[in-house]
Amino acid sequence: MSALTRLVGFWRTLFSKDRLDRELDLELGSALDTYTARYTAEGMDPRAARRAAALAFGGISQVKDAVRDHRTGANVEALFFDIRYAARGLRRTPALAATIVVTLALGIGGNAAMFSVVRATLFQPLPYRDPSRLVFVWLGQDRIGYRGPMSGPDLRALREGASSFDGFGAIWASSAITLTGNGDPEQLRAAMVTTHFFDVLGARVALGRNFQPGDQAAGPGATVILGWELFQRRFGGDRSLVGRTIEVNESRATVVGILPPDFRLFLPADASVPDRLQAFTPFWPDFENGPRGSLFLRVIGRMRPNVPFAQARDEVSSVAKGIAREIGRNRILTAHPLQDDNVAPIRGTMLALFAGVALLLLIVCVNVASLLVARAATRASEVGLQLALGASRRRIARLVLFEGLLLAMLGMAGGLLTAWFTLRILVAVAPPSLSQLDGATVDAPMFGFLSAISLLAGLIFSTAPQIELFKRAARGHALQPERQTTASLVRRRTRVLLVVVQVALSVVLLISAGLLTRAFIEVLRVDPGFRSATQLTFRIAVPGRYESPAAFNAFAANLQSRLRALPGVTGGGAISHVPYDDMPNWSLTYSPDAPMPPDAARQGDSRAISTGLLEALGVPLIDGRFFTDHDDDANRPVAIIDDRLAGELWPNQRAVGRQISTSVSGMNADVGGNTARLTIVGVVPHLRLRSLVEDFRPEIFVPWRIAQRNPMAFVLDTNREPASLAADIRTAIAAVDPLVAIYDIRSLRTYVVDARATRRFTVLLAVAFACMALGLTTIGVYGLLAHTVAIRRHEIGVRRALGATSSQVTRAILSEGFGLAVVGCASGLAGAAAVAGLLQSQLYAVRPRDPMAYGAGVAVILIGSAIACWLPARRAVKVSPMDALRIE
Amino acid sequence: MANRQTDLLKGTLDLLILKTLALEPRHGVGIADRIAQITKGTFLLKPGSLFPALYRLEEARLISGEWSETPEGRRARYYRLTASGERRLTVEKKNWDRIVVAIGQILEAD
Repeated sequence: MSALTRLVGFWRTLFSKDRLDRELDLELGSALDTYTARYTAEGMDPRAARRAAALAFGGISQVKDAVRDHRTGANVEALFFDIRYAARGLRRTPALAATIVVTLALGIGGNAAMFSVVRATLFQPLPYRDPSRLVFVWLGQDRIGYRGPMSGPDLRALREGASSFDGFGAIWASSAITLTGNGDPEQLRAAMVTTHFFDVLGARVALGRNFQPGDQAAGPGATVILGWELFQRRFGGDRSLVGRTIEVNESRATVVGILPPDFRLFLPADASVPDRLQAFTPFWPDFENGPRGSLFLRVIGRMRPNVPFAQARDEVSSVAKGIAREIGRNRILTAHPLQDDNVAPIRGTMLALFAGVALLLLIVCVNVASLLVARAATRASEVGLQLALGASRRRIARLVLFEGLLLAMLGMAGGLLTAWFTLRILVAVAPPSLSQLDGATVDAPMFGFLSAISLLAGLIFSTAPQIELFKRAARGHALQPERQTTASLVRRRTRVLLVVVQVALSVVLLISAGLLTRAFIEVLRVDPGFRSATQLTFRIAVPGRYESPAAFNAFAANLQSRLRALPGVTGGGAISHVPYDDMPNWSLTYSPDAPMPPDAARQGDSRAISTGLLEALGVPLIDGRFFTDHDDDANRPVAIIDDRLAGELWPNQRAVGRQISTSVSGMNADVGGNTARLTIVGVVPHLRLRSLVEDFRPEIFVPWRIAQRNPMAFVLDTNREPASLAADIRTAIAAVDPLVAIYDIRSLRTYVVDARATRRFTVLLAVAFACMALGLTTIGVYGLLAHTVAIRRHEIGVRRALGATSSQVTRAILSEGFGLAVVGCASGLAGAAAVAGLLQSQLYAVRPRDPMAYGAGVAVILIGSAIACWLPARRAVKVSPMDALRIE
Repeated sequence: MANRQTDLLKGTLDLLILKTLALEPRHGVGIADRIAQITKGTFLLKPGSLFPALYRLEEARLISGEWSETPEGRRARYYRLTASGERRLTVEKKNWDRIVVAIGQILEAD
């Protein structure tokens, strides 16, 4: 039968039902007449003939029913009936229906929202052309699991040696560009890029053109490509800007292009490239010849079409082997698919949260199932009657199913609303590390997922009541009211089981949330080694005319003394990196030997600090001294190291006075040669400057006077309200040089808080899930016990009449509720132990078997159950012996 | 008619109706009569199975019904085979022949 015919028949059945029925009546009447005539012809009298014909016919109405059932669309007709029936059933118990729909909406909506979040953060393809062909190439020192940027010669080797790639592009987001003229000086978040960078990435400019190889010959700052936001804000979106020059770093730069409004740079977090850069300029002409020890290039590659990743990866490795042969030292390059690399740090968190919310939906389903089972119990007699009157089991099963599906649909509608709200909240509170979360919206795939889980949930929670219903109906409950005996307790097995499952799932969620909370408390307790409560930080871009180290130092010293003289400022200094900022990390290769052996591979993080910086951060001195103004002799450079490095190189000996050899990256005073020989003048405790929770490498502090960085960051310790200091700082700096751009005036504490933001977000969600689970389970336990008390009224009355005390009755009820809770807890503990392993990566300083989290989870659910048992128990106590008699 | 006989008819009822109508248009009772007559009473079609089948076949456009007068002067619905009904009959007949041969082979195998 063609689809069209089917459709026609379908509509005919639905809408010309009356006409069809009339025709059928006529036809069957005619057939009956034929038989009657036949019997009459055989000699019967007309009335007997008619009776015989009807008998032979087998009943007119049965035949009609049979015909109707066979029509296309007959099912739909029955469907409408069943849906109406289900809706009527729900309207009869509005409170129950509302409870179910609300809990479903929360469960379904939460899942849909998390689905969108996971899709946006983990699976959304990068907004570039053919993003699956993009890889990020790291210089990896796999011995200590470190990976970082590479040098110019490394990039050249890749470019020349890796033929599976269309090309490589590199970026370095460290350069300072100050925009002057036409308003206040402004420090731009800028980066140097290779001229092919945007081509490799697969991004286009919105206006003007991309960089061309010739632009690099002119060097950095001669040409720039600007971001859309800057173009709009600072230049009013004037399209004629393209091709004109603007004043940056006190010279003229030609604006060659403007990036589109939606351009964003998505690179792995540990690449230290901010994702909202405002200006790009080419590298200097011979940057690929630069020293091999100068590691600053963040490199992406675009694989040729149809090249498998494994081949590209192997080729990158073999290029690295070639470099190693050339320089006689180990060199490792590793390629990772860009998308995978970007999401790696948050994948675990996101999937754990998704699993959590899925568990929550399961609890919701169990709760709904349990409520429906309770109702099925009260409807067993109705169904028994229907069965007795000839209703088919299939039809009744379908009725129950429809009721479930109808609830699921209502839950789905509510879920859509919930998801929309939840997403708005999540986007608002999401930490910067989850900025892709902005892309999470209510869209078609999310709607598909929402529908699918609603349907699935409907099927799941409709099954339990069916089992219950048929079991009871089969037991012949047809015309009897529910028997109010203890025996029916045993028959509530389905429901008891559901509540136990609910408790178990909740325990899993509670313990998971407990573990994450414990871990977060540990993170809060982490002492970064410096104080941040009263410290104010800001950055300045130092104008180009102070480029020479001597001029830079004079400028910085002048600035520092003026800042320290501000009222309320008790100390302060400059540093190359504010803790937990996104500036590219500085590292040094070090060795205690002199001269430094060529294969030295130990790496430490290095920071340039001025005098007074460590004091302003409240860092205690373990040994030696802090830097002074006299530590500026480039021929006899000094350093302060942390206790970790001191312990590693000179265990149980004094480090002060000893020397280490290091590479010179970051040092721009003339310290001579490729390595420096640093004399240790002080030892301080290890500071957690790069990450609060990860243990990074030892730290080497070098004096600002031999290693300046632009932009420079200041940290001031103040006993004033930090915000009120901002105006004074601006005035003080403008007095030294009005062309200095000041930005990022923030309390140091905000950096520390941001460093915990992702974990805080995770914990908040996990706790929210756990609270909902607890609430649902409490309702579940309460519902069950309230039912128990209701059907045991008679028995309780009899017991009271026989002299049972209030406490005995209470104990009987409580023990039932607690029995469930304990069994549920036991299974939940086993589940949690399994799940905790998956959370491992999130559990800072907390073991997956942390007894406190397990204890707390179990305690909370037991308290919840106790509260849930209390009301029914009190109601049981109020049953008087008279009640028993009255019921009889 | 016993249940077992109905079971025998399952799936072949459509074929029997189509074949019966291939000769000439008939009304419902006429179809039942014809089948009973040819099979010498082996297949007695009950209205409860005949009429649903007729409506199903008509909806599938394999047969079409029209009100007309019987020789006795009563109004009855006469069904005739449509073009697609004829095609279907040919196909179903071939299928049936294959089934008969196949089952015969099975039953006669040692």
